[in-house]
Amino acid sequence: MKNIVIGQYVPGNSFLYRMDARSKLLALVVLMATAFIIKDFYHMIGMVLLVGFILVAGGLSVTRIMRGLKPVLILLLFTFSFQMLFVNTGELLYTTDLTLTLYNLPIMMGIIIFWMISKKYVKFRFIYLLLAVFGVLALLATFAPGGVISSSRVQIYSDGVLGAFFIMMRLIIIVTLSTILTLSTKPTDLNLGLERILKPLSIIKINAEEIAMIISIALRYIPTLLDEANKIMLAQASRGVDFKEGKFKDKIMQIISLLVPMFIISFKRSDELANAMEARNFVPGRNRTRLHVLKWNYVDTFVMIVVTLVFAISVVIRVVM
Amino acid sequence: MGIQFEHVSYGYHSIEGGLFQAIENINVSIDAVGEFITLIGETGSGKSTMVQHMNALMTPQSGQVTIFGVKLSKNMKKDTKLNPLRQKVGLVFQFPEYQLFEETVLKDIIFGPKNFKVPEKEAIQRAKEVIKLVGLDETYLERSPFNLSGGEKKRVSIAGILAMEPDILILDEPTSGLDPKGRDRLLDLFMDIHQKTKKTIIVITHDMNTVYQYASRVLVLNKGSLVYDGLPKELFSEQNIIDWNLDLPDILHLKKHLEEKYQKKLSRSPNSTKDLFLLVKEELI
Ligand SMILES: Nc1ncnc2c1ncn2[C@@H]1O[C@H](COP(=O)(O)OP(=O)(O)O)[C@@H](O)[C@H]1O
Ligand SMILES: [Mg+2]
Repeated sequence: MKNIVIGQYVPGNSFLYRMDARSKLLALVVLMATAFIIKDFYHMIGMVLLVGFILVAGGLSVTRIMRGLKPVLILLLFTFSFQMLFVNTGELLYTTDLTLTLYNLPIMMGIIIFWMISKKYVKFRFIYLLLAVFGVLALLATFAPGGVISSSRVQIYSDGVLGAFFIMMRLIIIVTLSTILTLSTKPTDLNLGLERILKPLSIIKINAEEIAMIISIALRYIPTLLDEANKIMLAQASRGVDFKEGKFKDKIMQIISLLVPMFIISFKRSDELANAMEARNFVPGRNRTRLHVLKWNYVDTFVMIVVTLVFAISVVIRVVM
Repeated sequence: MGIQFEHVSYGYHSIEGGLFQAIENINVSIDAVGEFITLIGETGSGKSTMVQHMNALMTPQSGQVTIFGVKLSKNMKKDTKLNPLRQKVGLVFQFPEYQLFEETVLKDIIFGPKNFKVPEKEAIQRAKEVIKLVGLDETYLERSPFNLSGGEKKRVSIAGILAMEPDILILDEPTSGLDPKGRDRLLDLFMDIHQKTKKTIIVITHDMNTVYQYASRVLVLNKGSLVYDGLPKELFSEQNIIDWNLDLPDILHLKKHLEEKYQKKLSRSPNSTKDLFLLVKEELI
């Protein structure tokens, strides 16, 4: 709990850092849109290489990006499996029968139990999980003597593989690009940039400035509330709440014992903040000057031209191919 | 038995990745019986951090804390049971908002005992006793803890820890935010518990009168280091007051004024106003 850093901003001085938050946001949107219109295999590879280039040229650490990708791994895996299993157009590439029998059932259970017990001691848990899943599948596909309990046919088609590939690449591109943005932009700058970009929305009565204010207050209060949560945990722990152990019923009680004070403290804090803002004569919607002002540089114009070109070329390729 | 600190240090990680040393190389030994200790020091001097080591909420980054024979250090056994220690050493936090969450005061008080597997019936019995001990009456048990005043909330939070029947009782600034009368009552309550049960009580405070009148021992933290561990009477020397930014207790203020007025030093520090009166009569007039 103590080591959580809000926002992922890592200081640096590559061209990404010299860019304006607005152009970064816009470029991000354009590049993401590009990733979605690509339909061609080599074109997609080119796009991935471009993202990789931004990453390297921007001087960001690849391991950090990998860490950003970690939470979406499960999602990736799911979409990948679904695409592989349920799409049945195109060429049939591979087919096999998964058969559960009286003999391989205990072996399968053995593998699962072994995995559950041993996973605590393994470093790369996710890979270990994949290994276990793969082990079970291989077992069901190859070793199936004895009375059949159930059987199902798995067929993999070329469209499924291709579809899975595109979805994976798009997800990776989106997550990588957003991670690049958050790594190289301070949350406050990002917020300000967002405000400026959304400003035209005031025509349809959406007040970007207020939204930005809400976001910046939320950002400001995340560390404070984490700190409070930590204090509540300590206070309840000294009344015998053992957050590490306990049955399900106890767990619910433990969570309530955290949430209720958390709510009360949040309301109190927001009340105090509202009073403090009012005491400083804050009026929503008034024109305000800024301490930090965004500045549009040559870099920004250049980058915007490049991404627009990338987008235009992609559209052309899509239409022509 | 009791609590021992050996070369205990603890630092907090700052957002920039640095380490802020909150307490440094603390050595102290506290008995489980017969001590009334006040812990003082400026805000941010590490008092709360130190007492959170005493009931195993924190484990030292270096050095070792021993709580009732259980050793806590960086390389202690992973399966060390910490929870029982929190029953033995009851810690009341500074801000009651951080722990009140039940619908009624009663439920909140029995929350601790129930976590330590005290049967519900007995826990309720204890709640009825402790609510009176902290100076509220039984009608409070059915009230919502959120509709109480600050002082009342504080008392309820203290009652919640008392109901756990800890062997050592620690209070983090229990008297801050209370009116003088409420403060004195609470301190008298702690003194009363201390005298009846002989249990050691540790109070964090900024009030030098409390230190002077109640404590049998005083610990002073200054920028994370334990700079004084001894009798309250010997604490308030000229040098210490300047070095550690201390206030004089009222009675020593009075003594100082009298000494200035009569241009003569008293032979010893008085225990109470009455004692001062006798001293003045003997030595000054
Ligand atoms: N959770 C925390 N994270 C970072 N720093 C902290 C945290 N808690 C306390 N500190 C810092 O450690 C120092 C000691 O804090 P604390 O033990 O609460 O002091 P005291 O109770 O004497 O006021 C303070 O400077 C405080 O800012
Ligand atoms: Mg404190």
